[in-house]
Amino acid sequence: MNVEDTIGSENKRDCQVTVTSASSLEVQIEAGNKKLVEQGIRQVIEETAATLKVKKAKINVIDKGALDYVIAARVEAALRLAFPSTNPIEPHVSRVASKRDRPRRSRLYAPGNNPRLLVGIELHGADCVLLDLEDSVPPVEKAAARILVKHLLATIDLPEAWVRINPLSSYGRDDLAEVLHSRPHGICLPKAESAADIDELATEITRIEKELGIVEGSTLIMPIIETAKGVLHSEEICAADTRVAIVAFGAEDFTRDLGSKRTQESLLFARSMIVASAKASEVQASDTVYPNVEDEDGLIAETKLAHDLGFDGKGAITPRQIAPIHRVFSPSKEEIGEAQKIVSAAQTGEARGIGAIAIEGKMIDRPVLERARRTLKLAQELSGEEPR
Amino acid sequence: MKNALGREIPERIGERKLRPFKGAFATTPTAQKASRPQKTVKPGENKVLSSIEEAIEATGLSDGMTISFHHSFRNGDLLVNQALDACARMGLKDLRLFPTALFPVHKPLIEHIKNGVVTRIEGSMNGPVGAFVSQGGKLREPAVLRSHGGRWRAVEAGDVKIDVAFIAAPQADPYGNANGIKGKTPCGPITFCTVDAMYAEKTVVVTNDLVPYPAYPFEIQQGWTDYIVVVNEIGDPESIASGTLMITRSPTRLKIARLASEAVRASGYLVDGFNFQGGAGGISLAATKFVGEEMAKLGIVGGFAMGGGTRLLVDILHQGLVRVILDGQAFDTAAIESLREDQNHVIMDPGQYANYDSRGCSTYMLDAAFLGATEVDLDFNVNVNTHSDGQLLHGIGGHQDVASGAKMTVITIPTLRGRLPVIVDSVTTVTTPGEVIDVIVTERGIAVNPRRENLKERFLAAGLPVRELKEIKKEADRLTRPPRKPIFGDEVIALIEWRDGTVIDTVRRVVGWE
Repeated sequence: MNVEDTIGSENKRDCQVTVTSASSLEVQIEAGNKKLVEQGIRQVIEETAATLKVKKAKINVIDKGALDYVIAARVEAALRLAFPSTNPIEPHVSRVASKRDRPRRSRLYAPGNNPRLLVGIELHGADCVLLDLEDSVPPVEKAAARILVKHLLATIDLPEAWVRINPLSSYGRDDLAEVLHSRPHGICLPKAESAADIDELATEITRIEKELGIVEGSTLIMPIIETAKGVLHSEEICAADTRVAIVAFGAEDFTRDLGSKRTQESLLFARSMIVASAKASEVQASDTVYPNVEDEDGLIAETKLAHDLGFDGKGAITPRQIAPIHRVFSPSKEEIGEAQKIVSAAQTGEARGIGAIAIEGKMIDRPVLERARRTLKLAQELSGEEPR
Repeated sequence: MKNALGREIPERIGERKLRPFKGAFATTPTAQKASRPQKTVKPGENKVLSSIEEAIEATGLSDGMTISFHHSFRNGDLLVNQALDACARMGLKDLRLFPTALFPVHKPLIEHIKNGVVTRIEGSMNGPVGAFVSQGGKLREPAVLRSHGGRWRAVEAGDVKIDVAFIAAPQADPYGNANGIKGKTPCGPITFCTVDAMYAEKTVVVTNDLVPYPAYPFEIQQGWTDYIVVVNEIGDPESIASGTLMITRSPTRLKIARLASEAVRASGYLVDGFNFQGGAGGISLAATKFVGEEMAKLGIVGGFAMGGGTRLLVDILHQGLVRVILDGQAFDTAAIESLREDQNHVIMDPGQYANYDSRGCSTYMLDAAFLGATEVDLDFNVNVNTHSDGQLLHGIGGHQDVASGAKMTVITIPTLRGRLPVIVDSVTTVTTPGEVIDVIVTERGIAVNPRRENLKERFLAAGLPVRELKEIKKEADRLTRPPRKPIFGDEVIALIEWRDGTVIDTVRRVVGWE
């Protein structure tokens, strides 16, 4: 049996599935707490095989505490590998499309091939969860990972679900064809470098949306800008399509492309360029991830910088980074109070037909008023969430 | 007969008539305490013997008798195996073993059960011995599991008469004073068995470090000790932690700990003089850490923290966040060192902190406590004793004693362990009744016992994610098919005593699967 014939792993919360030929459907299960869990695992395997219309195969599963959707995904991947003509499972997912301008303070990355790191990914309050099929997934696991992400999306409610696909020139089209079955709110395109990249992606998404009966245009796009070319073309990238709701910066690849060191100075131009490009097209801008997970002070300092530069949010590589990021990007009580003062002064002014207004002798001009309105809107949208 | 929780309890086991559980504080004792024979040791008499065999000989230990041990070395204990090997060599049969707890290291006991050396066990069985006994038909009578306080009470009440208490002592003197915090291999307090030393017919201190008189502190007193035996090894102190002491790194478990600490903050109890129990499991440990950080931030100085002692609690003491740590056991070397050197780190015994039939328990002074569970149910009952497959898994520890006492008992649990749900319709075994559980914290929200409406209001006011337990359960149940359930037969494998000596549940033999 060569490696490609086995799907999944024997890591915690995963399972390993091997398919061999047989004259009927045979299921063999190895599991901890076997007496308790075998029956449930068998049901999942048999239902998955039935949905895929596979009637003759021996399915061998070694379970390490996988959830049902993980088992279903691993079995689907293994059966489709063994029987390449099998059609993919099309889960029934109804999802309300996301608003372009909802708060996106945090983007939590999660590797699309690692069930252990996906357990509970919905519970940490991230505004967006990015299920990654690109950098964190080695080529040999790409197929299984996109099926796992499809099943996750069909099972787990995420406030906003994004999938980072591979570039369309490599595995990106296969990624789209698989995961759009589960109707993610949006697709992240890594290494976006031109409006043409976005057009190509939007065209492909439109085609699949039509095919699957998804409301056309409901799938958003998040270009990730992480090359020199991408930074310079960020204006056209942000303006390329109405699906583009948010643009993200990727500093690691960018500094590699530049041959620069990662310092706040070396990133300043790219950050400012991206924010300006985004705002010019009413697109949100999200800053790069902070790679040192142990350094909360460093994370907070960099997040404050991003906030000051005009970013709307920041990437997170572990749930632990979400709370500090949210603290920086959520309006404080003082900011909300200040904004309320400005807005109500403006309303009074309007009522009296006064154009220019002042609070405590300080002139309030239009941009200040707009910012105050944005602060109140964000505060309104964030109300009702757990503290911290 | 059925007890107050509707669990079926046998009328009697052998000669013992069982009393059904009536409620957490429903019984009142009326009898006199048990006693032991008077004895005088005159000046110049020698109490030191050269081997365990010699001690067995001298104490008159014989077939059918009861021997006891403490578990302060946890999975590093070497005395139980040595003593039982000696009993076997000397041809003893039908012994009743009365340990405070057994661990995986005591696997050789299985052979002694098979050979008839040990035919009854009253004490916690963590690991292979529990799995073996769970098969049924292994012991002459059901095992009896008691909490720390419940065991103390049982000895004082005369429910269990100990014939010979063997006490592993990291340091002892030739007169029989002994302690657990000094010597070559300190294990922390050995006060779990103080009651054994006081009430056993014969008390034997076994040490690997005999020092000139006096060995102190006097956790075990010369006046209780009949004999002292010196051996090469009594335990491996490296194993006392048994892997429980890493603060969790799992984001899900950290979220539970964070929510638990926020619940404490919102409860209204977190004010100057706040007394709490710090846990030793991954989640409880993290919750304790977060509460300490919260106290530092708010400038609150607590009263006492209750152990098992850990480095974390010692740090909290050193930061001046509590005035004192009260400890019945130590889980790491930092705690043992602190017990030796810091007079605000105080040794206590289960009689002091947990005994129902006493004139007061330290646990009743607790404001908040973090405890774990293998299962909880929709009535807030908690199981720590059995696995969902019906196998004996863990002892009660101080679970019942702490939960009964603390003003706010917080159970911290993930909703799933692997594929297995932790919130169930009805727990496999009731260890601690829902009436003393106030809050259950999971990664999917906080459930408040309907008896504690006031806490619920405070949590809601603080914006905490309060949810119905059954809603949390429903959400977790969506992720896995339900596990199969064992079918239990009539044979009783173990009795679970409530801390007042009534029977709260039984563990029965698994005879099949639904």
